[in-house]
Amino acid sequence: MDYIGEDLIPGMLGNFFLALSFSAALLATVAYYLSARGSVDEGWRKIGRTAFRIHGLSVIGIFAVLFYMLLNHLFEYHYVWQHSNTEMPMRYIFSCFWEGQEGSFMLWTFWNMVLGNILIKTAKDWEGPTMTVVSSVQVFLSSMLLGLIIMDYKLGSNPFILLREHPDMVNMPFTKIADYLSRIDGRGLNPILQNYWMIIHPPTLFLGFSSVMIPFAYAIAGFWKKRFNDWQKPTLPWAFFSVMILGTGVLMGGAWAYEALSFGGFWAWDPVENASLVPWLTLVAAAHVILISRNTGKSVKTAFLLTTVSFALILYSTFLTRSGILGDTSVHAFTDLGMSGQLLVYLIFYCVLILAIFITRWKHVSGDGKEDSINSREFWMFIGALVLLISAFQIIFSTSIPVINTVFGSNLAPPADPIIHYNSWQVPFAIIVGFLIGIGQYLKYKGNDISKFWKKIRLSLLIATVISATVAILTSNTNYHYILLFFSSTFAVVANINYFIRIVKGKIYKSGSSIAHIGFGFIMMGALVSTSMSKVISQNSSGVDVKVLGADFSNNENIMLFKNDTLQMGDYYVSYSNRKQEGVNIYFDIDYYKKSESGEYIKAFTLQPLVQLNKTMGNVAEPDTRHFLTKDIYTHITYADLSPQEKGAEGTGNEYMKPKIKMLALGDTMFSSNAIIILHQLNTSVEKEKYKLEENDIIVGAELHILKINGDVISANPLYIIRKMTVESVPDSIPDLGLKFLFTKIEPESGKIEIHLYERQGNKKDFVVMKAIIFPFINILWMGCIFLIIGSMLAIRQRIKTS
Amino acid sequence: MKKTHIVGILIIAVAIGAIVSTIQDSSTYASFAQAKDNPEIEFHVIGELNKEKEMDYNPEINPNMFSFYAFDKEGEEYKVVFNGTKPQDFERSEQLVMLGSVQEDVFVCSKILMKCPSKYNDGQEEVIVTANAVEANS
Repeated sequence: MDYIGEDLIPGMLGNFFLALSFSAALLATVAYYLSARGSVDEGWRKIGRTAFRIHGLSVIGIFAVLFYMLLNHLFEYHYVWQHSNTEMPMRYIFSCFWEGQEGSFMLWTFWNMVLGNILIKTAKDWEGPTMTVVSSVQVFLSSMLLGLIIMDYKLGSNPFILLREHPDMVNMPFTKIADYLSRIDGRGLNPILQNYWMIIHPPTLFLGFSSVMIPFAYAIAGFWKKRFNDWQKPTLPWAFFSVMILGTGVLMGGAWAYEALSFGGFWAWDPVENASLVPWLTLVAAAHVILISRNTGKSVKTAFLLTTVSFALILYSTFLTRSGILGDTSVHAFTDLGMSGQLLVYLIFYCVLILAIFITRWKHVSGDGKEDSINSREFWMFIGALVLLISAFQIIFSTSIPVINTVFGSNLAPPADPIIHYNSWQVPFAIIVGFLIGIGQYLKYKGNDISKFWKKIRLSLLIATVISATVAILTSNTNYHYILLFFSSTFAVVANINYFIRIVKGKIYKSGSSIAHIGFGFIMMGALVSTSMSKVISQNSSGVDVKVLGADFSNNENIMLFKNDTLQMGDYYVSYSNRKQEGVNIYFDIDYYKKSESGEYIKAFTLQPLVQLNKTMGNVAEPDTRHFLTKDIYTHITYADLSPQEKGAEGTGNEYMKPKIKMLALGDTMFSSNAIIILHQLNTSVEKEKYKLEENDIIVGAELHILKINGDVISANPLYIIRKMTVESVPDSIPDLGLKFLFTKIEPESGKIEIHLYERQGNKKDFVVMKAIIFPFINILWMGCIFLIIGSMLAIRQRIKTS
Repeated sequence: MKKTHIVGILIIAVAIGAIVSTIQDSSTYASFAQAKDNPEIEFHVIGELNKEKEMDYNPEINPNMFSFYAFDKEGEEYKVVFNGTKPQDFERSEQLVMLGSVQEDVFVCSKILMKCPSKYNDGQEEVIVTANAVEANS
C-alpha cells in the first residue's frame, strides 16, 4: 500500500547516522586501544581521533534529524507522535526531545561526545588510554538507540521507527488507511512536564552523569599504563567539575520537586532522588581522596576505587530508574523499554573491567608505607571520604530493596516511614561531615602542631557554640541530634568564613574550597532548619470527631475551605475566593489575610495552586509558594471537586440530586455532604391506624440519627410498609439540611435495610481541601547551593591553572 | 594494631549496622488475610480498587478520611480507610500499594501509592484517528 504524505527521508538519514555513530565509536575504541597498548602509536591515534570526530558529527546529525522531525510534526514517526502534538507551545520542543528514554540516552551520548572532544584537545599523552574508555562508553550508549533485531533479541530502542511499524501498532486499523497521516495528531507532551524545569533539569543532570566518565577514564588509564601517581593531577579539575554539575543537577531536581510537584518538601528520599544523590556522594569522596593522593602520593588505590565506583553507581542508578524494577516503590521511575538486559550488560562489563584492572595492578602500586599521622589533614580527609562512602552505601542499600527481592526471592517492602529511616542514619553522618569540613582547612598535610591548630580553631568553635546554644534555647529544641547537626553545620560555615578572612585573606582565586565548604555547611543548615521546623498550619480545628468508625487518626493536615469562607491558619486568615480554568489547568485563588491591630483584615497575598487535568497520567496538583526572606508559605490543593461548575442552575438549588443508596445494618453509618447518618434502630410499633393498615399488614420505621457538624443530633423516620402484596415507602425529610430519606428494602437474611439518601442541589457548595506548610529559612539552603557552585568553579579554575 | 585497621573495622561495623537496620525497618508485602492475622502491625498490601462499591469521602465532616473497598492479590476484598484526602483520579487507578494495618476489621492505611495507566510515556497506547472515527486501542 502507498501511504500518502509520509516523509521517509529524515528517518533514513537518522538511521544512517545511528549506524554511523555506533560503528565510528567502535572503530575509535579499537584504534585508540591499539594506539595506547604499547608505546604511543601515532598512526592508530590519528585513526581513533578521526573516528571519534565522525562519531561526533553523526551524533549531531541524529540530534538535528530528531529536531527537524519534532519541528515539522512528522507524526509518521513513533517518537514524534508519542511525545509531541500540534497544539503544544513550541518552546517545549526540547522537553519533547528528552521526555522519552531514547531522547534522554541521546542527550547523554551528546554530552559524552562533547566532553570527549574536550579531552582530545586537553589530554595530551593521556589521549590514547582515556579516549579508549570514552569511546567504549559511546559504543554502549549508541547501541541503546540501534533498535536492531538480532536473533529475536532487540538491541536498543530506535527513535526513528515509523508509527505504523512500531510493534505496538502493527495491524491496527489505521495502518490500513492510505491517508492516515492527515487524520492524526500526536499524543503530546505530558502537561506536567510542560514547564521550564523540564527544559533545564535533564540537560544539567545528564551533563553531570557524563562528567563522571572523565575522572573514571583517567583512573582506568592511570592504572592501565601503570602511571599510578600521574593521573590525579589532570583528573582534579574534572572531578570538581563533576561534583559541581552533578550536584547542581541533583539539587535542581529537589527544587523542581519543591516548587512544582506535590512532594511537600524538597527531598522525600524517593528512590529516584536517591539514585542520583548516591553517585554524587561517592564522587565527592573520590575528589577528596584524589586530592590526598595528589598531595601525599598515598591512598592511590582508594582514589581509584572511589572514582570507578562513582561511575559504576551512575550506571547502576540508570539501571534502577529505567528497568522498571522500582515499580512498586516509586511513582517516578520509568517503566521498562526492554533495555534492562542491555543496561545490565553495560553495568557488568564495567564492573568486571574495574575489578580486573584493580586486581592485576594491585601489587604494582607502591605500598602506602608509613601510616598517616592522626594530626594530618590527609587522615581526617580520608575519614571524611569514608563517612561519605558509608552514607552512600546506606542509601543505596535501602533503595535497592526491590533488587534484593529479585535476586534473593525475598519479600521485603521498603521502610514504612522512609524519612525517619534515612534520617536516623544520615543525620549522624552529616554531623561528622560538618565537623570535618570545619577543621579540615586548618590542618596541614603530613602532621601539625596541635597547640597551633587549637589556637586557630577556637574562635570558630566559640562562635558556633554561642550561635547554636542561642538558637536551641530560643526555639526550645530538645532533639539532641538536631542540636548537634545545627552546631556542626554552623561550625563548618563559621570556620570556613574565618579561614577565608584570616588565612586566604579574601583572595578570590585561592578561596574555592572555603566558599564551596561554606556552601555545603549552609545546605546542611538550611535543610535541617526548614524541614525540622516546618509547620503544617492547615490543622483541622473544627469538624466532627469521627469516633463512630473506631479509627484513631493522627493526620489532620488537610483542611476544607468553602468558597468565600475564611479560616485561621497560623498567623493568617485564609480564604478561597475563586477558581478559573485555563487550558488543562484549574487555578484556585487562595487569599491570605493578616489581622491588623485595629482588627481589620488586610489581604497579604494570593496564592494560585492548581490542579491539572492530565489525560496521560491522571489529574495532578501543583502547589504554589509565597517566598519571603525568612520563610516560605507553601499551599497545595489536595482535593477539589473538578466536575465543571454548573452555571445558572444554582437558581433554587431545591431539586434533589441522584440518591446515594446504601445497605445498612443497625449501627451502620452513611454520609451526606453535611452530616453523618446512623441507623439507630428499627421500629415496628408504628401506629397502623394512621396509615389505614389492616391486621396482617407490616410497617417498619427506620430510626435514623443525624449527627450535624455542630454535634447536634436530630432524627428521621422513613417508613417501609407491606400492604397486602404491595410495598410502599413513606419518605421523611429534614428541610434544614436539605436531606430526604427513603426506606426501600429489607433483607431478612442479613438483617440489613436499604436507604436512599437524597440531597438538595443547594447542598453542593464549591470547596477545596488544602494543605499549607511554612518552611522557615529555606533560603539558607538555596544560598548554600549558590555558594557551592561558585566555590567549585573557583576550585576548578585554580586546578586548571596549576595543572 | 594499625589505625587503618581500627578505621576499617569501624566502617564494616557501621555498614553491617546499616544493613541490619534496613532489614529491621523494612516492612513486608502481605495480603489482607495476613494483615488480619497480625492486627496493629504495618504491612504493604498490593491490590486494586473495587470500582463497583462506593467510595466515601466527605471533606466537610473529615477532610482526612477516605474509605473504599479493595481486592488484594489473592482476590480478597477488604474495607480500607485512608488517613488523608481522596487521591486525585483515584477511580482510574490500576494498582494500589497500601501501607497500613488492620484495626477493628478495617485496613487503616497511612500511605497509598497509586499506579495509573500510562504513567510517563508508556503503557497503553491509543491512536485516535479523527474524521472517519477509526479508533484503535491496544
